[in-house]
Amino acid sequence: MSCEKYSGWITDAALGELRAEPEPELLAHAMDCDRCREALIHAREVRECVDRGVEALVAGEPSPHFATNLRRRIAQESQSLRSPWRAWAPVIAGALALAAVLAIMVTQSPMRSLPNPSVASAVAANSALREAATASPASPQHAQRTEGKHGPGRTTQAPPRTTALPEIIVPKGQLSAAAQLSAAIVAGRVDVNQLLAAQHEYEKPLEVKLIEIPPMEIPALDDATEKPANSIPF
Amino acid sequence: MDALAASFPGSEVSQDESLAREFEQRLADCPKLAYRVALGVLHNPTEAEDVAQEAMLRAYHNFYRLRDRERFRGWLVRVAFRLALDRIRAKNRRERYEHDAMRATLSAQPEVSAENLVASREFERQVAQALDALPEKLRMVMVLAAIEGYNTREVAELAGLPEGTVKSRLFLARKKLAESLQCLVKNTPVG
Repeated sequence: MSCEKYSGWITDAALGELRAEPEPELLAHAMDCDRCREALIHAREVRECVDRGVEALVAGEPSPHFATNLRRRIAQESQSLRSPWRAWAPVIAGALALAAVLAIMVTQSPMRSLPNPSVASAVAANSALREAATASPASPQHAQRTEGKHGPGRTTQAPPRTTALPEIIVPKGQLSAAAQLSAAIVAGRVDVNQLLAAQHEYEKPLEVKLIEIPPMEIPALDDATEKPANSIPF
Repeated sequence: MDALAASFPGSEVSQDESLAREFEQRLADCPKLAYRVALGVLHNPTEAEDVAQEAMLRAYHNFYRLRDRERFRGWLVRVAFRLALDRIRAKNRRERYEHDAMRATLSAQPEVSAENLVASREFERQVAQALDALPEKLRMVMVLAAIEGYNTREVAELAGLPEGTVKSRLFLARKKLAESLQCLVKNTPVG
């Protein structure tokens, strides 16, 4: 049937995409065939509806304040670009807040980096004692140094070390003992080197020594026949 | 104008008054184009205006590269279309397809004449839904062709495509839309 041939052309013709040659043929057929004519008319109506519908969708104007609003946005952006501090202000504030929090955390928990408090105390105490030993006028090293600087007959009292004092972490309940020890070291009543030497000796591992046990002396049988005086007679 | 001239991005052109003058000219005639492209995608005047503002703002930032008028218009169309698509994707899908129920209601209604149909609010919604269902490439040329009756050559210039491509895409878009909407138009189906 010829209508089947033309039905494929109808949509193309309605959309204006049918080639020049078949279009007159289709139109001639539509003049004779009611069904194809109605289909062509319908296709053209649909195309018109589609175009007008889409045109209606995009019909409209931006508001009268469009340009004013855009200029205001541009001005705001350029203002923020001109003052870089304003743009970076939130970042800087955040960084400062983070730094403050970290500083508080570090100052509030000094033992955080050293998990074993006894070790921390020992290390701190040792370093403090060494500092005191080098600074103490009673130590021979210090005496040599002062002698070299100021001449042999002249002894000078080293000024008290008020700056960069070593931090000593004292275990609980031993503050007074530590203070007394510190005062004794400063006064020269305690020789720090001896103290350190004793500590080193104490920290040395124990040595295992072999003990020689001499063999027991067994008396001769003849001597055993001699009865003791307090022996009981049978 | 002075504020625009003083605030142009780009180190060398910050004080260029001629640049500001040219942008003022674009500001006078291009927002409508951006707005209509966005409206064709979003179907919402407020959102379309937002998108057009954003597109113009981006155009302002890149204006030192887009001084040619035709190039500027094509660039603006594509940016507005892309921004509108991004916005619609960000929206809730439920909101986007809320017209499904309405479509069912409309299908049950008796058929009306083409004139009354086009004028009806429901038909507009149906067209919007059919347009949304089109692939992006077809949708863009369809929207551009509907704006101020641009012909194929003008659409090709705006979309940055060959004229033949635009022609075939327009044909496909119209065909798909016609298939979607033919049941709403009185008379027998096409073919």
